[in-house]
Amino acid sequence: MSHLRLLTSPPNQLAPDEGCLLAFQGELDYIYRTLRRLGASPSETDDLAQEIFLALHKCWTDYDPERPLRPYLFGIAFRISAAHRRRRYREVPFEIVEVGDPALGPEDALQTKQARALVLAALENIPLPRRAVLVMHDLDGVPVADIGSVFGIPRFTVYSRLRKARRELETSLRRLTNAIIR
Amino acid sequence: MNTRSPFSPKIRAVLDQERVIPPVAASQRARVIARARASLGAPVAATSAFSTSAPRTRWPAAAAAALVLSAAVGAAAYEIHARMDRDPVTPATAVAPVSRLTPSAPAPSPPSAEDGDLVPAPEPAVGAPRLPSAGSAREELRLLRQARAAVARNEFAVALVPITEHARRFRNGRLAEEREALRVKVLVGLGRTNEARRAASDFQKHFPRSVLLPTVSQMSVSGGNPD
Repeated sequence: MSHLRLLTSPPNQLAPDEGCLLAFQGELDYIYRTLRRLGASPSETDDLAQEIFLALHKCWTDYDPERPLRPYLFGIAFRISAAHRRRRYREVPFEIVEVGDPALGPEDALQTKQARALVLAALENIPLPRRAVLVMHDLDGVPVADIGSVFGIPRFTVYSRLRKARRELETSLRRLTNAIIR
Repeated sequence: MNTRSPFSPKIRAVLDQERVIPPVAASQRARVIARARASLGAPVAATSAFSTSAPRTRWPAAAAAALVLSAAVGAAAYEIHARMDRDPVTPATAVAPVSRLTPSAPAPSPPSAEDGDLVPAPEPAVGAPRLPSAGSAREELRLLRQARAAVARNEFAVALVPITEHARRFRNGRLAEEREALRVKVLVGLGRTNEARRAASDFQKHFPRSVLLPTVSQMSVSGGNPD
């Protein structure tokens, strides 16, 4: 099967517009959730998702379809979220109003909704570069090496950010939980 | 360095809930897709495609299906390679399977408008099938390899891109059978169960003696409730 090694992966032959839109549609849920995890409020997600689409479309011909799409999208989402935060010069206040998951029963939905709201609120207390590493690794399951290549940082830096972000998340979650119990 | 989660069971449970990606509301999805399409300046397809956001891995036959499909595509790849080595320009006598999608059997029913399917099933062929060259065989193989790689990563939406491309360029290609089997698998993975069943039914019509038929039928049956 040596020919398999000879076969290269040229850019997608589908019309770029069509391929890009298909990929964007297919990953829209992930894009929205990533934006929320990176601090976008529900009212901002539409505009930011559109920015992501435009950025994806711009570099779609450079995307290697052999590579997983989500880390690639995350890199775009991170840069757009960071630029958005710089524009507004302030942290996003806690504003956790989630649309319920229609697939769940009322009690499960409430529990899930609370858990998600808790995680989003806790993530808000972690600086964006460390938060991005934590979300990619601990929520999206992206390997450390791939995270390093998405952000262009050494593997050691990824580990370092991950370790610190986990401590911050734990502290933040504990504080929020205690606040709710009191 | 150890990257295993150091969190307590309670925190892990909370994170587990957050790992499940909730679907975007249908109205919001339609709005965003329409906006994205408008920014391209040209309509591409119906708006409601991918509107169902079902869990991505809910079919129990996934492992077995992957094995069978991988073996089938691998075997097809080997056959193509062997033929290319022997005979760069394939003689007409060697391409009997090409006409498999253009039989007198009824053509697959087109997807209904409400499905908004961006991945149309292959249309009935017009005229005699063209003989595939070595280059097109390689290209077919490349597209299906892309689709399989995406399926292996559970990125079913991504897998649809090379599948659609293959159907457009090689409607009756050598790997049409494998492509249509993959299509069923991808639709099941996306939770588009009704479309998966239709695709499985078309597969059965066109490839009644396919070794993939039991797997394809099982996939479409185990795909869950109708969407």
